[in-house]
Amino acid sequence: MSASFSVRPYLLLLPGLLPILAFMSLVIGMALSQSVGYFNFSGDSGFSLRFWHTVLSEQQFWRAFWYSARIALFSSLLSVALAYPVALWLRRPFAGSDLVSALIKAPILVHGLVAAFLYVNFISFQGFLNAALVHLGLVARPIRMQNDPYAIGVVILQVWKNMPFAFLILTGPVRAIGDDILDAARDLGAGAFARLRRVILPLTLRSLQAALILIFIGAAGDYSFQSVAGPTSLNSLAQYMVRIQQDNAGHGWNEAAVIAVMLMGLSLFGSAALAALIQFLLRRTGR
Amino acid sequence: MPPHALTIDEASLSFGRFQALKSVSFAAEQGQLVTLLGPSGCGKTTLLKAIAGFLALDSGRIEIGGHDMTGIPPERRDTAMCFQSYALFPHLSVSDNIGFGLRQQRIGEAEIRSRVGTVAEQVSLVAQLAKLPGQLSGGQQQRVALARAMAVRPGIMLFDEPLSNLDAKLRDQVRMEIRALQRQHGFTAVYVTHDQSEALAMSDLVVVMRAGEIEQMGRPEDIYRQPKNRFVADFIGTANIMPVRVIGHDAASGLHHIESPLGRLTVRSEIAPVAKTIFACWRPEDAVLVAAGDETGPNRATLRVLSRTFLGSLCDLIVVTEGENPVSFRIQMHGFTPIAEGERITLSLKPEAIRFLGEAAE
Amino acid sequence: MRRHRSAALLVQTRLPVVLALTVFTIVLALPFAMAVLWSLVDPSHPWAYPAVLPPVLSFRRWIEIWTTSALPQALANSYLLAATVSVSTLLLALPTAYAFGRLQFPGKATAQMLTLIPLAMPGFVGAIFFSALLVRFGVYSRFAGIALGHTVIFLPYAIRLLSLSFAMVRQDLIDAARDLGASPLTVFRTATLPVLKPGLLAALIIVFILSIEEFAISYIVGAPDFTTVPTILYSYLGYNFIRPNAAAISLILVVPNVLLMLIAERLLKSADPATITGKG
Ligand SMILES: Nc1ncnc2c1ncn2[C@@H]1O[C@H](COP(=O)(O)OP(=O)(O)OP(=O)(O)O)[C@@H](O)[C@H]1O
Ligand SMILES: [Mg+2]
Repeated sequence: MSASFSVRPYLLLLPGLLPILAFMSLVIGMALSQSVGYFNFSGDSGFSLRFWHTVLSEQQFWRAFWYSARIALFSSLLSVALAYPVALWLRRPFAGSDLVSALIKAPILVHGLVAAFLYVNFISFQGFLNAALVHLGLVARPIRMQNDPYAIGVVILQVWKNMPFAFLILTGPVRAIGDDILDAARDLGAGAFARLRRVILPLTLRSLQAALILIFIGAAGDYSFQSVAGPTSLNSLAQYMVRIQQDNAGHGWNEAAVIAVMLMGLSLFGSAALAALIQFLLRRTGR
Repeated sequence: MPPHALTIDEASLSFGRFQALKSVSFAAEQGQLVTLLGPSGCGKTTLLKAIAGFLALDSGRIEIGGHDMTGIPPERRDTAMCFQSYALFPHLSVSDNIGFGLRQQRIGEAEIRSRVGTVAEQVSLVAQLAKLPGQLSGGQQQRVALARAMAVRPGIMLFDEPLSNLDAKLRDQVRMEIRALQRQHGFTAVYVTHDQSEALAMSDLVVVMRAGEIEQMGRPEDIYRQPKNRFVADFIGTANIMPVRVIGHDAASGLHHIESPLGRLTVRSEIAPVAKTIFACWRPEDAVLVAAGDETGPNRATLRVLSRTFLGSLCDLIVVTEGENPVSFRIQMHGFTPIAEGERITLSLKPEAIRFLGEAAE
Repeated sequence: MRRHRSAALLVQTRLPVVLALTVFTIVLALPFAMAVLWSLVDPSHPWAYPAVLPPVLSFRRWIEIWTTSALPQALANSYLLAATVSVSTLLLALPTAYAFGRLQFPGKATAQMLTLIPLAMPGFVGAIFFSALLVRFGVYSRFAGIALGHTVIFLPYAIRLLSLSFAMVRQDLIDAARDLGASPLTVFRTATLPVLKPGLLAALIIVFILSIEEFAISYIVGAPDFTTVPTILYSYLGYNFIRPNAAAISLILVVPNVLLMLIAERLLKSADPATITGKG
């Protein structure tokens, strides 16, 4: 066989990779260009930074930005913090462990909007939670919990949907840690906490980061949970973007493009910063 | 009397319905080296893990320095184990692997570095300290596992075939380092090996196991000289095992007379035969070649040489009896012996070289 | 000693299992039971505080939704869309997955990373500017637009799943078949297809489900006149919150997908247990 360079693999890549790259670069390119005034659907096109000025000086925008950042941070940290101990607990199979892990993964199969509905239905005025509280005598009459102002509902939904996802990502690497390695650590005097810090966490760091990043990105760009269960006084970035695009007849697209770029930036840098922070903390306490 | 450094008292352990250890008992004094010998799957690793505390006993107990270890977790037992599977931490460098236990003991960083350096030198790993385990050869990984356990200087060291992956020369060197360290720090060691010559050379006490049970234990020379049964005789060294019939006992000389495939023989044995028909064994090196025409040696037999293997300092012969049911034996002669295959030779066996085994032949 | 061990075992395993079941009941089973109840509330006997259970149960709500709302159309749209998308995604993914699963070439790892980029794109950013592109390029068919968008954003999943299947085809079997003089077609039929088939079906089903569930593109590109099941559900959750309708459509959206997913998982497991528990 000749060792010469073959183009066949690269030709085979085209049907799958080309649409992805074309789609992504066109979409991102469209957002970037519209944010600086190109490809306008109405009026003249031409370079201009005024849309950036308009959006970035808008207080509403910053509220939406920090709100989305906060939701993304809490959701990813909480999801992973809940999934990690469960993955550790299910590291070694026991009677019933398959059932438990199937139940944990079940929410993955439930559509986000359905989850939002189930949640709202559960906590609503007529919902199970209120009925239970009233019957237990904890409250005199049903309380209003829907669209709570602190977005607790949104975080609950995010965690409900993403904790199983984090579990799915973490479970493989956690299971891959050999019993002998953990036994060796114990034998050398490492208690439960030391084993976690010095052996288990470093060995699963990559998956931990992957789970944090993916959940962060998903939660930062959330639209449906926020619009169904979120506080009515606040917008998430995605919601704000859609609203601006639809409401502002003249420059809606351009300003939405600015928000889109900021949202992509938040997803990218926010999740990267989170991953780096986790790694740094682990290095500090690890060894 | 001070308590034993390590006492195993009727330890039993099962995995589900499979009994891996059946009422195992032995004790070791401070500074002794106990080897566990036995075929694959007989429970050696299981016993070490029970001592280290990874596996809980079903019944019986393990004492370290006189203290009952029941319910004490591994991290609070004064043991360190060198794993058969190495179990190195893949994310830590060789030096961090070796220093793992020391960091756990909150020893100063400078002290850790010096101790890691010393141990690394003893197992010839100084050049590899910065590497990750994945970048090492099998033998190097094994030495890291050894160094990591030795670095913490525990009261009890548990070695699970620590030298199996090393070449003969390195094995000798590391074995001597282990002995030297043991003299220096006085730890008690339980040592699993498949290499019976290693076991005989190193140990104060040899424990031969089969299927979760102790078959025999004792000092190496005792086990070698007086194996209890065919299994032990065959497992420790090479043995010629033959069924014999006891035909008489001469109280004055203390000799037993037997009928064997080698003809009529006399046996001098401290233990009396347990039955009329019984197994007896002798070691290949105990046979003495008798010159043609020499009529003086005891227990003479004439055999035909089937094959001959020259091994340097030794000459290994397979010989067979003549007659309609030929029985083959293995003998070893020191130095070069000018014997050809097919030749007939006469051998002599001292009465004390033949041992009765504690098993009746049917 | 024995009793001590079994008691510890009980605390270690049984208790958490019971705990897990309790949590499951509260966060999943109960809400679903509520949804089923709500979808069965009789329209002429509303369920209102302080009644603990609905006064009258009937299927009238289901019939009413089916006959008066856009649900039949939305179902038709969703399923036709999903069928189109799963087939086109699979056809595009196959050659690339083959290259990833069976060939070695420089730059492979980078190419594999590149296929994953869509996963890092916030869904609504993609949806909005994809719709801008559609306007720009003059694609006015909602169906074609959504199908195109879905095909691209689900390619990463199909490529990943199929690469795993291709990687499981054993080269020694192919070589053995060739060695015995089999034609390329026979080689494919005997050594490749049996291993590939479960993965292919699973990928087909998973892309199908993903497409039915996709909301951002369907909503942004399709609104207001092209409805799919999720967009119709969204309309009942938004400003005009109609609880019984939302309950019924939730069930319509979840139940078939769960069944399909169980089939897909079975298929993947039959091919290789490691693909599910493995790298995830
Ligand atoms: N976790 C386990 N579950 C079930 N059976 C086990 C387990 N660990 C070991 N065994 C069984 O217990 C027996 C003893 O195993 P052990 O590892 O102690 O053997 P060993 O003497 O160390 O063998 P080797 O010389 O091959 O290392 C074997 O039959 C083995 O199959
Ligand atoms: Mg072993």
